[in-house]
Amino acid sequence: MSSFDAIIPTQANAVKSSGSPPEYKSSTKKFEVFDAALRVLLFATALVAIIVMATSKQTKVFTLLPGMTVLVVAKFDQSPAFIYFVAALSVACLYSIITVVLSILASMKKGGDTSNLHFYFMMFDVLLLGIVASATSAAGGVAYIGLKGNSHTGWAKICNVYGSFCFHVAASIVLSLISSITLLLLVWLSIYVLFKKITRR
Amino acid sequence: MDLQYKEGINNGRIGGVKRTDLALRLLALVLTLTAAVVLGVNKQTTTVAITLSPSLPPVKLPVTAKWHYMSAFVYFVIVNAVACAYTALSLVLTLATKGGKKNVSSMVVIFDLLMVVLLFSAIGATGAVGLIGYEGNSHVEWQKVCHVLDKFCHRVMTAMGLSFIGSVAYLLLIVFAVINAYKRL
Repeated sequence: MSSFDAIIPTQANAVKSSGSPPEYKSSTKKFEVFDAALRVLLFATALVAIIVMATSKQTKVFTLLPGMTVLVVAKFDQSPAFIYFVAALSVACLYSIITVVLSILASMKKGGDTSNLHFYFMMFDVLLLGIVASATSAAGGVAYIGLKGNSHTGWAKICNVYGSFCFHVAASIVLSLISSITLLLLVWLSIYVLFKKITRR
Repeated sequence: MDLQYKEGINNGRIGGVKRTDLALRLLALVLTLTAAVVLGVNKQTTTVAITLSPSLPPVKLPVTAKWHYMSAFVYFVIVNAVACAYTALSLVLTLATKGGKKNVSSMVVIFDLLMVVLLFSAIGATGAVGLIGYEGNSHVEWQKVCHVLDKFCHRVMTAMGLSFIGSVAYLLLIVFAVINAYKRL
């Protein structure tokens, strides 16, 4: 932890930045607002994606013989990829709540040095971006097989039978794609602000 | 600030680019290329013995598995090829500008992030599809195939592991770029 203190700007630099001209302060305020807005969007899309995936259960009635009916259920927890998807998006949701609260608290602090916080946010953002992207893609791969089937391995498609389940899964994957793009924009914004601060000096 | 930067130019740098940066980019290049090639030439033909009736000897049916039978594997090979080409381009660019131009280094960080996202998604898709092939899915009646096509599945897992280390290398590249930027702040 002590090595991080050497990297992250200390209070001396913060004193330098508090004497900066007002237009620099207003532009960083704009970026902070944009940052908080993106995090709220991340929270919203992750939450809705989880809810849509969790409520995707569909039951179909099959009549094998006249008088003998079988109920077959399609749920998201029948596939490990969808379980991983829900778990990863829950982590993203929780992370977005924590970071929205922390960044609002940090921006309200007068004359405070927020570089420390933004550094840690950026690291965790990149990590979470990888996790959410892999979850989206895993669910997408399995859902594609469910949609089209695979004749070479003998895996039959299921979306012709379970239409509503497939629709829920597709909507959920599109939402998580939006949340991973939001995370990407968040990291790009942080990098842009950082590089602008460097070229300014 | 400029004087300090000029003094440290030969400090841990080869041709103006930091040693760790160069090493990570070379590692990522080699690993993504290997992963794409390992999955791109993946093919296996075996026979499956099926007993039609107890009196007759089992019939041997040939079973072929090629990498392009599965869309997730096609996506994996394409993403790894793109990542490899981008790494080569960024290596050439950073060596040519000697790590000096701010525009080039910031664009390289931006595209490094894109590569992280693409590679992680390719690994996730291949992993999910490979898991179905390994264990099957009893609820949807998808049979497992890896007990028959074991060499194919092993090569898929190898390619996935190589690509995962390559994507960790991209992640470290971004982390080091951000840490260096904060040092200069």
